[in-house]
Amino acid sequence: MNIFIQIQRTGNLIMSGIFSTIIDLLLNSLVLSGVFLIVAIGLNIIYGLSRIMNMGHGALYAVGAYIGYSLVAAGVNYFAAILITPLLVGGIGLLIERSIILPMRKRSMVYTLILTYGLMFFLDGMIKLIWGNTPRFVELPAFMQGMISIFGTQYPVYRLMTIFLIAAIMIGLMLLLNKTKAGIIMRAASTIPEMVSCLGVNMGYVHMGAFMLGCAMAGAAGIIAGPLTTIDPLMGGEMLISSFVVVVIGGLGSLRGAVIAAILIGFVQTFTEFFITDLAMVIVYIMMAVILAFMPRGLLGEGRFE
Amino acid sequence: MKKIVTISLGLMMVFSLLASQQVFAKDPVKIGVLVPLTGIVAQGGLEMKMGIEMAAKEKGTILGRPIELYVEDTQVKPPVAVSKAEKLVYKDGCKALIGVFSSGVGLALAANIDKLNVPFLTTHVMTTEFYGIHPLVFRSGQLANDQTAVGNVKGILARPDLKEKTYYVLVHDYAWGHDAGQRFIDLAKENGIKIYNEDYDKAPISTKDWSSYISKIKASGVDGVYIAFITNVIPVFAKQMSDFGLQDKVKTISAAAPGPLELEAGGEACYGIFGASDWSWDVDTPESNDWEMRFWEAYKTIPSDAAAHSYVGAMNLFNGIEKAGSTDAEAIAKALKGISFDGPYGNVRISPKDNCMRNSAVLTETMAAPENPFGAKVTMKVLHTFTAEELGPPE
Repeated sequence: MNIFIQIQRTGNLIMSGIFSTIIDLLLNSLVLSGVFLIVAIGLNIIYGLSRIMNMGHGALYAVGAYIGYSLVAAGVNYFAAILITPLLVGGIGLLIERSIILPMRKRSMVYTLILTYGLMFFLDGMIKLIWGNTPRFVELPAFMQGMISIFGTQYPVYRLMTIFLIAAIMIGLMLLLNKTKAGIIMRAASTIPEMVSCLGVNMGYVHMGAFMLGCAMAGAAGIIAGPLTTIDPLMGGEMLISSFVVVVIGGLGSLRGAVIAAILIGFVQTFTEFFITDLAMVIVYIMMAVILAFMPRGLLGEGRFE
Repeated sequence: MKKIVTISLGLMMVFSLLASQQVFAKDPVKIGVLVPLTGIVAQGGLEMKMGIEMAAKEKGTILGRPIELYVEDTQVKPPVAVSKAEKLVYKDGCKALIGVFSSGVGLALAANIDKLNVPFLTTHVMTTEFYGIHPLVFRSGQLANDQTAVGNVKGILARPDLKEKTYYVLVHDYAWGHDAGQRFIDLAKENGIKIYNEDYDKAPISTKDWSSYISKIKASGVDGVYIAFITNVIPVFAKQMSDFGLQDKVKTISAAAPGPLELEAGGEACYGIFGASDWSWDVDTPESNDWEMRFWEAYKTIPSDAAAHSYVGAMNLFNGIEKAGSTDAEAIAKALKGISFDGPYGNVRISPKDNCMRNSAVLTETMAAPENPFGAKVTMKVLHTFTAEELGPPE
């Protein structure tokens, strides 16, 4: 009964300012979807190529946020920080891949799952050791702190920019995967690794590159998402769960599936928080259960790396 | 041979003397401290620990015996807290438990106190269910939800700019949030304050992106919002309200006091948060100022209300054990009824009626801090001081 009252009340208030509210909700949904997408894409890149489920992915997202915060606090231009942070997190990914993943590559996936699970705790601990428990807020450039009028509604400039930043990252990724030799090799290696190896490509470097790229995506998501909400030691764990949900719903290893799932989850979560707050905590998991009940391998199955 | 015997006898005498000194040394009074040191309220838990440790250091001894604190992390999870409490009592031999941040955890411990059979004094649980919940369970610390509601409603009624506003109520979706929200709504309605959503909206504790809720606040057209959030989430919400341009248009009243370090991080975006709290470092009395400087000297961090009321609660517990003359649970419980301590926010007395404290409190609003020894840029400015009788509940 309470849920119906919530829907009715919320419907009433929408009608009173329908257009601006819908614009708000659409934009909020796109922002949320975008952040989920970047993180999940990174996870899928790593899984799609190397069949490694990186449990430390959320922690790398948090590391990216904190590195971005520190760079901006040290006086680095915010846009420069957006370029530098993924490179640094990718570098951390390189260290992880060479030291932890590589020795376990030939073993069962369970080994890397457990190792990256331990990595998650290690990175979380390092975050607390270096930056402490207090939440951090990124100081944005002045022009990003205001509001902008969109179809009659006032919307935060930075949130709007987030949508464009994420779109730019996705376009960059598409170009990398489709138009560059490295990207084409990655895509081929995800489906026919033996053939790629026979053609003389060093698969070790391919796996390394994929892992670094996945980590860089997590780092990029961290620095972009940081100013939206807050940066705190728990952000990694929470994002890991969300990104796994996106990956599972979209289909393990499927980049297109991740795009569809991220958009679906972003919109469902945003609209549910608005209309039926009682279900805000569970709606995404209910949706996941329903989808998996009918499509056990996700929307696009254990899909192709494209 | 004679030399060996002499030396051996001499050594035996020395060891005997040392051993007898050990026998006469006083066993410490062991107190179990249950605080969240990980998770969303880790900073609050750390501040509670600081307050309790400071009290133990200043008290020095109880019954002529040193105080030994055994600190365990509850992780804000009731089952973890209960198992840690069992470890503190059964394995470590603690004679009392103190601390606990979350109402859910506090209620779980209270439900197991018969099994533990030691007094448990919370310094932070705010649920009204704690009034008279068990003869061995006490509260001396953070204001309870009903007391906070009284303070906030009185504060709203005293300000013409707040009295006429319509309030949207948004709470964290767990025991304390529901209780705090409902208490405010009931009291507000009795006093003619307009509430937009009497069945209050609930947000998961893990919520980071408040944009949907803020969009709803925007769409509703209200000019006030009453929030019942975990302390370190308050500045996050305030910052996002500011991002959406609502900081000046919608007045925020909070059921809990924001943490000082989180306020510092939020900066100007956290100005204008209004709420009742037991204490703020802006309280200007000799006792409060002295306590603040002692805390600052010890920990070099801005004194927080979590530390202050944990300090006071700990002092009440230590003095209660002293008064009991023993570490027997029932004796301590009997001694704690009616005990009081004069601390940074005046007299804090544990009511014999319901084992919960009565004390004065302050109404505050966050704003730019004046010059201060802590380097703080944001303060919770004291607007009004309530007496214990005003806040109740009546005895």
